[in-house]
Amino acid sequence: MKLHTFLYSTCMLAMILALSCSEAADNPGPEGYENGLKNDCFKRSLGPNVVGIDMNFVYAMALPRQAGKILSAKVEASIPGADGTFLEHRSFYTDASGADIPVIVANPCVTTGAKSEVTFTTDTCAASLRYFYKVPAEAKGKSIEFNFSATASNGQTVNYKLGPYTVSNVDMALDLLATDGDKCYISVADLAVYNATEAAANSAKIDLVYLYRSSIASFAHALVAPAADAGYLPGISLPAGVSNNSPIRRVYQVRDKHLARLQYGVYVDDADFVALDFSGMPNFSLNLMNEYGIFVETQDGKYRAYLYINAVNPGTSNSGIPANSMKISIKRYTVK
Amino acid sequence: MNKNILNDKIAKLLLLCAALIFAIGCYDYPIDEDGLMITERAECYVSNFDLLGADFYTVRTKVPDIDTLACTINIEVKYGVDMKNLWPQFTLVTDAKLDPKITGFTDFSDLANPKQYTVVSGNRKVRKTYTVYVSIQKP
Repeated sequence: MKLHTFLYSTCMLAMILALSCSEAADNPGPEGYENGLKNDCFKRSLGPNVVGIDMNFVYAMALPRQAGKILSAKVEASIPGADGTFLEHRSFYTDASGADIPVIVANPCVTTGAKSEVTFTTDTCAASLRYFYKVPAEAKGKSIEFNFSATASNGQTVNYKLGPYTVSNVDMALDLLATDGDKCYISVADLAVYNATEAAANSAKIDLVYLYRSSIASFAHALVAPAADAGYLPGISLPAGVSNNSPIRRVYQVRDKHLARLQYGVYVDDADFVALDFSGMPNFSLNLMNEYGIFVETQDGKYRAYLYINAVNPGTSNSGIPANSMKISIKRYTVK
Repeated sequence: MNKNILNDKIAKLLLLCAALIFAIGCYDYPIDEDGLMITERAECYVSNFDLLGADFYTVRTKVPDIDTLACTINIEVKYGVDMKNLWPQFTLVTDAKLDPKITGFTDFSDLANPKQYTVVSGNRKVRKTYTVYVSIQKP
């Protein structure tokens, strides 16, 4: 029995050693490493890709010191980015405390059409550049691909393709201020807040009325469809033609990162709008506070939107806005 | 000699304990049609009740009045609450269950016809039907 165990162990050890030796031969160490330019890339930004928001990438390139230096780096997008698209001319590394430290390695980026390029000014054999692609309006609902490339002094060129990335079919409007009795008519179609005169001129597009009533219990800040029961529109005389009925689904703590710009990694995406069911939903939502939100559908069914409440005054915190007002940010999805 | 008798007694006692533990361990409570254990508890009451709005936060204005003798629950909700989409939340005595089951948002808008829910005791022999009276806060 003991002899068998010994033989078995010896055989296994021999096999492991043989495998290790063969693996070592396949992967030579740094000294034998192929002298060539290498690159790698990944997308840093999370969440859906939305028009007007940056998509953020990191492009890393390196070659052995003795093989040469990096001359240039370039990114080409399948759809030209909006203003603000650029490739960083600074390379970043992370220090011991976790902070990103920039080092200038190239001339500032030159963006022409879909191409963003930097020419290196520093004699370096390794760099990690960031690329910010501001999603243009024409990319809405389409897919985008990126081709990253780098050139070295030894004549080598490498490239790395990323994508396709689908761009969300939503539009956004940030920090709209609604004030009780003044600019209190909200249009999802226009992503705007109107006063009574403007609302009368755009009556078919008014989906919600903002009002604040402290004298009524549990009313406070409210968003109410024009067609709601008059009891939910106390003291409101609607402008001529403003009569839309919009179902509302109230939610709390859906702190969409694009709208709230807080630390929470929550995103309202196209799929969320598609999955919404408004059957049996009310056309009013009272007592709204900071970090509440409502999903709403326009009467014609053309749009579904998420209105996030950034702040109310009086609120519990971070008001910073006029009295009896509400600051909202909107994501709007086009249904048809 | 005495030592041997003592050891024998201890051994018998241990054997008895083991048998007892085994017997308890093997006792199987019956299971009802919902896959829940039918126990010996006869207690049958609601200990707490709440109504949640569409945002899954409570809409009640104060602690509900639960009368376990009259089997009634009186709860006041905030003004402006969507009465058609409320999620009732019962807290029952241990091992009891509710009939009908709560499966989602419920329409409480018909105040004239209050909803009724039956609490069934752990032994499934006692049934008490509670009536939920909802009132709306005055604006």
